[in-house]
Amino acid sequence: MVGSVSDDDNRVEHMTAREGSWCSLPRSRSQLTEERDRVRNPWTIALALALVAVPVLAKTTKQAPVAPAFTLPGMKGDVALESLRGKTVLVDFWASWCGPCRQSFPWMNDLEKRYGGKGLAIVAVNLDKDREFANNFLAEVPASFTVAFDPSGKTAESYKVKAMPTTFLISPDGKLLATHTGFDAKHAPEFEAQIAEALPK
Amino acid sequence: MTTRRRTFAALLLLAGIGVPGCATVHPWDRDLMAKPTMRFVPVPHEMAVDDHIYFSKEGSTGGMDAAGGGCGCN
Amino acid sequence: MPAAAQTQLAPGWQLETTGLFYGEQLRAKVVEPTGRLTRQFANGRALSLGLAVDAITGASPTGGLPTGQVQTTTSSSGRSSTTTADAVPTHPFQDLRYAADLGWVEPLGSLVSASTSAHFSQEKDYASIGGGLKTSVDVLNRLVTLTAGAGYNRDRVFPTGGTAVGLAPDDTPRIPGDNPKEVRTGLVGISRVVSRRWLLGATGSQTRETGYLTDPYKIISLTDPETQLPVAQVNEKRPSERLRDDVLASSVYHFEQDIFYMNYRYYWDDWGVRSHTLDMKVRHDLSSESWVQPHVRLYAQSPASFFVFGLTQGRPLPEFASADERLGPLRTATFGATYGFRVPGHRGEFTLRGEYMYQWLVGRPPTAIASSTNTPAGDDSGGGGQHLGTNIGTILIGYTVPF
Repeated sequence: MVGSVSDDDNRVEHMTAREGSWCSLPRSRSQLTEERDRVRNPWTIALALALVAVPVLAKTTKQAPVAPAFTLPGMKGDVALESLRGKTVLVDFWASWCGPCRQSFPWMNDLEKRYGGKGLAIVAVNLDKDREFANNFLAEVPASFTVAFDPSGKTAESYKVKAMPTTFLISPDGKLLATHTGFDAKHAPEFEAQIAEALPK
Repeated sequence: MTTRRRTFAALLLLAGIGVPGCATVHPWDRDLMAKPTMRFVPVPHEMAVDDHIYFSKEGSTGGMDAAGGGCGCN
Repeated sequence: MPAAAQTQLAPGWQLETTGLFYGEQLRAKVVEPTGRLTRQFANGRALSLGLAVDAITGASPTGGLPTGQVQTTTSSSGRSSTTTADAVPTHPFQDLRYAADLGWVEPLGSLVSASTSAHFSQEKDYASIGGGLKTSVDVLNRLVTLTAGAGYNRDRVFPTGGTAVGLAPDDTPRIPGDNPKEVRTGLVGISRVVSRRWLLGATGSQTRETGYLTDPYKIISLTDPETQLPVAQVNEKRPSERLRDDVLASSVYHFEQDIFYMNYRYYWDDWGVRSHTLDMKVRHDLSSESWVQPHVRLYAQSPASFFVFGLTQGRPLPEFASADERLGPLRTATFGATYGFRVPGHRGEFTLRGEYMYQWLVGRPPTAIASSTNTPAGDDSGGGGQHLGTNIGTILIGYTVPF
């Protein structure tokens, strides 16, 4: 680790050298200046930028990923994502203990009413460990849309769910168009516009 | 232990809590954490009363709790 | 409360009232009703107002030594009390204390929450006003929450009858006027969701007190070097600065049905006081509407460097001295349980807590020789002086209702 460089006669004060560390040799002030200039060399900067830019560019120009398939038990029989091909699908991961989920249900009921006939399918995947909690929630906050159950969390894991709730917008040909984490009434209209845009023409 | 060593040990303990561990907790595994009883002070009014009683009867103070836990939503 | 959780609380009001009944055997009795009104707003903001009244009566130890004979002490307000043989001398007092606090919580984005508070209290001989600020941030996908806070308090001590002159004989005329005291606190904390069932946290805080830190009513017995009987009394005297530190480690673990809470606090300050506190509770649901929560708290304290049980007459007085048992080698053990229940169809929750506390000093010297019927000094085979503990019982009723 580099300590302080004294101003007078280029003497370096107070160095601690460590075995095998890249900074194991004492440095004089002129040596440090040299090193600083080396780092500031335009080619080094370009290399650093490239290292950062490549993954960023790769992410944005990548093809939209395919939404992971799933077949989960529903209220009446199984719910399979493949069977909804041709429709725009909203997959929402929720649980009875999640406050914002409670707020998102009326909004999703409203979406179902207005866009259900225009090619929108909503699948709300429940992640409660105990089905009874989900049933109690649905008794209080009824859903007009499809509800599926994923108590083991495997489908949530395949979708890389990072927060509760998370809503995924899937195109009619099965591509993942957008991911929205959390639910906030303020941003709902923006999301709704995105959904309307993605409806099958 | 000198006061400075005690302070250092205390800060180390604090920092140790934040070190990422082996097992991660998935967002959908926060069901228990979402319960109102899963916090450091399950009955807040009891803590307020106790703080006052023990402050009046003993020589120590402090032990104020930090925020934490919860369902992790939004 | 983690920063993110604050934004999800349902908007509305909440009223919380409590009533505390506290009684020390042969000593102080306190009745304290409190009320708290909280308004939660839709955007996560919250306003809270709390009020409390303490009615305290009874007796408090003076710091004097127990002896084998009856003692009579006179309090600064002129009231006298008689202490039975082998009992710790106390003086009677009566006080009414009012306290109020106001708090505001403001979320700053979805990951940060800030809160400010102000508080005020007033009693016959003490007034306090202060404020605090606390911020918490959720990090690492909301598994870790970092907290930092600071507080400031400005107090005034105006003892009844004036301020005693430190280490002067207790009948020295007292000085009229106010004595200021300032308290500054800082705290940092971290909490971590370790697993689905386990929440861990740690906080550290430091407090600096400056000003008048002496207890205005406590005295120290001066004993005769030969008979060891208290023959005179001097006022106590404490330094005018105190630096306190503490670390607290907390754990909450959810078993299949029950939740186990454990706290350990280590405290130290520059007066020499060090303490360990271990506090454990278990929350057990009896039904969906009721629960029980047993509780154990163990406390051990080592004395301040200037703590003395008594001073010997004729020897030079130390710079600081106090015989206040709260600065001594103190132990407290608390056992209790809370019962909580909801009345079906009603949104409010009732809690009822009963606790028993036993507090004692270790290493108390045996009581001095007195009448011939007493055991001689030095014989601690059950002489009252060795086992003078205080029995304390409390009952706390609470009611919380949203509306």
